[in-house]
Amino acid sequence: MAERLLLLEHAADPNFATLAGYQAKGGYAGLRKALAMDRQGVIDQVKASGLRGRGGAGFPAWIKWNGIEKTKTQPHYLICNADEGEPGTFKDKQLMEQTPFLLVEGMTIAGFATQADCGYIYIRGEFIDAARAVRKAIDEAYAAGLLGKNILGTGLDFDLYIHLGAGSYECGEESALMSSLMGERGMPRLKFPHAPLPTVAGLWDRPTIINNVETYCCAPSILTNGGEWYASIGASTKNSRGTKIFSVSGHVNRPGNYEVEFGTPLAELLQMAGGMKGGALKACVPGGSSVPMIRAEAVERAIIGYEEMGEVGSMVGSGGCMFLNEHTCIVRFIWRTSLFYARESCGKCTPCREGTKWLAQILDRIVKGGGRSGDFELLQQVCSQIDGRSFCGLGDAAAWPVAGALKVFPEEFRHFIEHGKSVVDSPLREPAMV
Amino acid sequence: MSEPLRIGRPHERPAPPKAEDLNLHFSERAVQELEALKTHYPDLKACVLPCLWIAQREYGGFLSGEALAEVAFRLKRSYAEVEGVATFYSMYNVAHKPGRHKIEVCTCLTCSVCGGFRVWEYLKAKLGVENGQTTPDGVFTLEEVECLDACDRAPVIQVGDRYIGPVNEATLDALLAELRASEESSVVQMANEIVQVHLAASERA
Ligand SMILES: Cc1cc2nc3c(=O)[nH]c(=O)nc-3n(C[C@H](O)[C@H](O)[C@H](O)COP(=O)(O)O)c2cc1C
Ligand code: SF4
Ligand code: FES
Repeated sequence: MAERLLLLEHAADPNFATLAGYQAKGGYAGLRKALAMDRQGVIDQVKASGLRGRGGAGFPAWIKWNGIEKTKTQPHYLICNADEGEPGTFKDKQLMEQTPFLLVEGMTIAGFATQADCGYIYIRGEFIDAARAVRKAIDEAYAAGLLGKNILGTGLDFDLYIHLGAGSYECGEESALMSSLMGERGMPRLKFPHAPLPTVAGLWDRPTIINNVETYCCAPSILTNGGEWYASIGASTKNSRGTKIFSVSGHVNRPGNYEVEFGTPLAELLQMAGGMKGGALKACVPGGSSVPMIRAEAVERAIIGYEEMGEVGSMVGSGGCMFLNEHTCIVRFIWRTSLFYARESCGKCTPCREGTKWLAQILDRIVKGGGRSGDFELLQQVCSQIDGRSFCGLGDAAAWPVAGALKVFPEEFRHFIEHGKSVVDSPLREPAMV
Repeated sequence: MSEPLRIGRPHERPAPPKAEDLNLHFSERAVQELEALKTHYPDLKACVLPCLWIAQREYGGFLSGEALAEVAFRLKRSYAEVEGVATFYSMYNVAHKPGRHKIEVCTCLTCSVCGGFRVWEYLKAKLGVENGQTTPDGVFTLEEVECLDACDRAPVIQVGDRYIGPVNEATLDALLAELRASEESSVVQMANEIVQVHLAASERA
């Protein structure tokens, strides 16, 4: 299998980021089709497509869209989660920079289906290039009557606003993102079943849809070609349909974004990225820093799919795929991972606030040569005290990579703890800056 | 005993001005931008983040106590609330006035295995500062940051609105020279760019 380009097909063409260029390639056919249907018809197409959220959790998109009250009694909101912060992931950035109209059209379709008054695109603060490209696209769409009042003469009103973050990974978590958008510290909110779903009471306590950039970008082609067509892509997998963009980085020859059909073997993704650099494959973190790493043997067996990746003990996640070569010290890599979560923990709940700091502290002691017998079990224990006991997903996401690495590379941790140094000849040996 | 691990940067807290000392510094343009922003949201509170960006530009890249007080005043919030928000986010400069250029070095996962720590050590030594510090001449502030989501270009650094990577000693030297020569503050410029992307064509000056 090769790349299967639905979203990135025209990404390299700078014209595609202009309205004229976008429409020349069939852009806005999806919105026109949607506006000719009724709202439920649009949701049914998305249902038939089998589209699942691309932000990490893989939740079916149509269920959210269908969960919005059908008889509108109050304002409805739409949010695009463009706070891409997961280490290893850079797909939303490329989509916004190069295919901003896919996002604008996709959000307009979703806005129509859910009777949203307006949409907010919450973009990570660092992503100024992406924000500029989306700004330009929105301005052009307004000027052409594709946003604003009476879109395409159909009576549909829909506004899009850009809102930038200011540096916080936690703001990618959907309820924390809403807190941030409402002008607060980026801390998460109580969730279902303890509180209503966002589709009932989200942003400003109004019915709200939140999806990832890539999820919205899929909507135009689903509407243009039909949900069933979309569902035929990736049909070899259990329950993953369409394509997924993987951001490949690490020790590969051609790092970058690669869009593949679900059902593609993970090993082929590595081939697409030009294979390994500087040594043989040792481990792979397939879906962003939050997912457990897998060993080279498992990479050979892994098939890209939400359920299929589970069979090798990992996840599709956000698609941030890091390949690590044989000279990588896994203990140091996990130490750096734990430092990330400790720094980004918002501090609201004890298991994560304290647990992530303990993980970082213990691992820091180990990589500095101060490992003690019992540290291995201690790390396992701290992970189990965080996982499933935290207020939001960040805690779980902090525990999984550590617990996962302890499971698949126990010998590296035991060696480091016992001998005070890495199994890799020189733990600090890093490739020279290229 | 090993040194306890320090997580995050130390936050000195800016002192709020006394109510009678409150001076408003926003330019005419900033006031207009804020008025436009207010129409984007159903309440004033949601303007806090964008307004902090305006303030970061208006106050020369630094959210001093006065800057936070002005944001609080203009949005009818308490000082404590605005300070609480500003100190949560890493891109707001609340600790001290940053240099003309803030160099953000990623040492996160991919960068960590592609030479990110070498870049970090190199720049620390070259500039003679530690994490979060500013060079005595006020030109550079150095910060270690988490994944910039440009891992395909690891090791990568960000300066203002520019992503630069992969970097090596030679490109870093050239970059430092270039930045030293430029008089404009990339910190202020970035804040302005961020304000601008919030605004529709009709709302921009
Ligand atoms: C700690 C944490 C960080 C997250 N970061 C992101 C992110 O950067 N981008 C994103 O789209 N989703 C992120 N998510 C997932 C969102 O909470 C949410 O599930 C997603 O935006 C829903 O969109 P989707 O259904 O289209 O995937 C994060 C979740 C957690 C727990
Ligand atoms: S798990 Fe708890 S402390 Fe960690 S980010 Fe979520 S709410 Fe904050
Ligand atoms: S790890 Fe440095 S940019 Fe992602």
